[in-house]
Amino acid sequence: MPRRSLGAWTIATLVFLYAPIAVLVLFSFNTSRLNIVWEGFTTRWYGAMWSDVVLMKAAANSLLVASVTTLLSVALGTAGGWLLHRYRFPGARLWRALILTPMLVPEVVMGVSLLALFVFLRLELGFTSLILAHVTFCFPFVLMLVQSRLARLDPALEEAAMDLGATPAIAFRRVLLPQLRPAVVSGALLAFALSLDELIVSYFTASAASRTLPLEIFGRVRRGLDPSLNAISTCFLLASMMLVLGSEVLRRRSEPVAQGEKR
Amino acid sequence: MPAAAWLAAAPLFAWLALFVAAPALIILAYSFAQRGTLGGVVWEFTIANYAAALDPTYLRVLLRSVVMAGATAMLCLIAGYPVALYMGRAPQRWRGTLLMLVMVPFWTSFLIRTYAWLTILKSEGALNGVLLAIGIIDAPVAMLYTPGAVLLGLVYTFLPFMILPLYTSIEALEEPMLEAASDLGAGPWRTLRKVILPLTMPGIVAGSLFVFVPALGLFAVNDILGGGTVDMIGNVIENQFKGGARNWPFGAALSVLMMAVFGVAMAAASRSSRLRGLSP
Amino acid sequence: MRLLPLTVVAVLAAMVSACQTGAPKADSIRLFAWSEYVPQSVIDGFTAETGIEVSYETYSSNEEMLSKLVSGAQRYDLIQPSDYTVQALIREDALLPIDWARVPNFANIGAQYKNLPHDPEQRYSVPWMSGSVGIVVDTDKVREPVRGYADVFQEKHRGRIVVVDDSREIVSWAMATLGRGPNEVTPQILAEVRPVLERWLPLVKVYDSDSPKTALLNGDVDLGIVWSGEAAILHEEDPKFRYVLPVEGAHRFLDTLAIPKDAPNPHGAMKFLDYVLRPEVSAKISEEFPYTNPNLEARKLLSAEQLANPASYPPGDPQLVGFLDIGPAAVDIDKLITNLKAAG
Repeated sequence: MPRRSLGAWTIATLVFLYAPIAVLVLFSFNTSRLNIVWEGFTTRWYGAMWSDVVLMKAAANSLLVASVTTLLSVALGTAGGWLLHRYRFPGARLWRALILTPMLVPEVVMGVSLLALFVFLRLELGFTSLILAHVTFCFPFVLMLVQSRLARLDPALEEAAMDLGATPAIAFRRVLLPQLRPAVVSGALLAFALSLDELIVSYFTASAASRTLPLEIFGRVRRGLDPSLNAISTCFLLASMMLVLGSEVLRRRSEPVAQGEKR
Repeated sequence: MPAAAWLAAAPLFAWLALFVAAPALIILAYSFAQRGTLGGVVWEFTIANYAAALDPTYLRVLLRSVVMAGATAMLCLIAGYPVALYMGRAPQRWRGTLLMLVMVPFWTSFLIRTYAWLTILKSEGALNGVLLAIGIIDAPVAMLYTPGAVLLGLVYTFLPFMILPLYTSIEALEEPMLEAASDLGAGPWRTLRKVILPLTMPGIVAGSLFVFVPALGLFAVNDILGGGTVDMIGNVIENQFKGGARNWPFGAALSVLMMAVFGVAMAAASRSSRLRGLSP
Repeated sequence: MRLLPLTVVAVLAAMVSACQTGAPKADSIRLFAWSEYVPQSVIDGFTAETGIEVSYETYSSNEEMLSKLVSGAQRYDLIQPSDYTVQALIREDALLPIDWARVPNFANIGAQYKNLPHDPEQRYSVPWMSGSVGIVVDTDKVREPVRGYADVFQEKHRGRIVVVDDSREIVSWAMATLGRGPNEVTPQILAEVRPVLERWLPLVKVYDSDSPKTALLNGDVDLGIVWSGEAAILHEEDPKFRYVLPVEGAHRFLDTLAIPKDAPNPHGAMKFLDYVLRPEVSAKISEEFPYTNPNLEARKLLSAEQLANPASYPPGDPQLVGFLDIGPAAVDIDKLITNLKAAG
């Protein structure tokens, strides 16, 4: 494969992906409060951000909700994806349609209907209702990623494991799961991003105490998105970059020197 | 089918029943109800909402949404496939990093990212500035608040949704198979067309769904980048709940219609031979 | 291996449930208001003085508020409806009458803001902030005087106009040019108004209710019809932005505070009402949100600069009409605008 041209394309795409990010970071140092035109350089918004208790609480809430949502979505999505692939359940078409539904339904409709459901179940709005809602629209992505990966995997592997005496559960854990890792990791990354940025459904299913960052940010649009919001986004960016670097370093340390590029 | 399978699948089915099927039924019920004065519904049966929804105005908007979502999916596929190819065949230790690099921009606030695009695309913005400086254009081009800007925003928003599924499919390809193809004399393009593309079809299908389906119901991107001039069905539905109309039953009916249209399309597509062989 | 993710989930779940606050504490109030419309300093001041905790939940439109209120999921002590929404709420018997004996500072509100058509007996609502919807012009780009809607919607301004994305607003402007008030909405009048809008809407570049100032500051548009608060912020940013009340007729909006019927802590809510009606507290609100303050005592505390902002305090203090609840006619308006926008 012409790797060099692929590499060039990838770099161009990354430039595209990071262009608004660059602007976002740049404007976090903007002296103008209105965040629309560049006026000058300052770091005061980072200070403002830290002392903004409401904003910090919202960010913490979002991180908490996103983390739990990701864990639950991965669990539900991975197990679900495998089960639907491995066994022929009756009504398979119905399950498939239901899985696609949260992806398809407009967020406002989903929010309103979930709210109605929670009222009917007498579930008080708060972190629980929020997480239940977030998992509902995140796990289908994980499930479908796992399924698409499973479609490519060699069923002989699983059969071989079971011939050697493994139960389906052990075959799943020891043989399949490592093979599914890219799908699971991708699904987790996607679920985290989706949950972190979810606005409309969160409005309907959250309470004042469980206010999330997107709600807080959107609430400030009228006044103008001041640069402290850019500052907090930049901090998130920095944190994730450090995560990437950190995991890279860990991986290098734990890996023995590889002989060629084997899978 | 072992009982253990049912037990293991119980959480999944329970979740789907409770948090997907039940709300969907609520929406269906709403669509046959009447509008309440303060929003909400009055439980009196009517099919007037569907009659109103089948109006050319809304069908036109629905069509525009389908076109936009479809264009977005295609552009994401074209732009994203080479990237996924590069990532999936990269040395093992780089794959995780590349994956994160692609996702990390999307851990920032969607709103701020989209407003950043406003800053870039506006008449006095960076893109116009660069194009002017290079000399491609003589005067600033009004890029914002057009369908083109909306398409750009949509592609931007959904690119990772396409890249990730493609990557998981491509990553599963076995090197020996590709080597065999080239041993048999296939050049890189041939290998791509005859070997790689067909084998990664599940990823392509997943990615297309991941982009097309949510794009259909989206409203935020075109609200901001289109300046409210590129209304899609998501905007119209949103208006029924959050705008002055306070017409929940109508919004519900439009949603049901949208899902029905999609369901029919999916049913038709799943008959096609390409999708046979994928999980049901 | 399976144990690790399970323990992580368990720990996080424990953290989450620890965060659940459950029912409001003994002395607290639940405020449900527009985002960015109640300064944090006001809330903190109230809590410091009375010891009553304020739980502040927000929304971005009257209908958003109604959708959560109507669902019955939570009970709120205070909501912040606009005038026409108050009227609908009163009609549906959803509000608690206010015990004015507990809110003596209500006397600070100007007489022209009391007993208005949406709350004729002045029993259920307390005016919060008022404003208008009018024309803002970038006088660097538009040299000739712009006096009304007809001046805005001219061919030479094609693609240089921003308007708020509010169907009812847009229709009311067209109705004004035909000499109609904003509350006479009938199918015949909508039919009359349609050709006007067919001419106007293709000239609009941006519809934006959240932040119409963005397009103006970006230089992508030269003039527009926006909320007076936005115009005031623009004027503060750069005096080249001028605000004009359209000569064909403008309307006023009045946002209020009201108490839902099932409020858990109505006495606490009324204490809050009395607190925000104090002149010095109300002046703080004006500082953050340059709308028209209906509290005349508070106006005395404002700076000359604030009072001179023509968007906040239009010269001559004109008496404008407010929106009233039009019931199902809102559906017709929505359909008309959707139709016209889709054709474009």
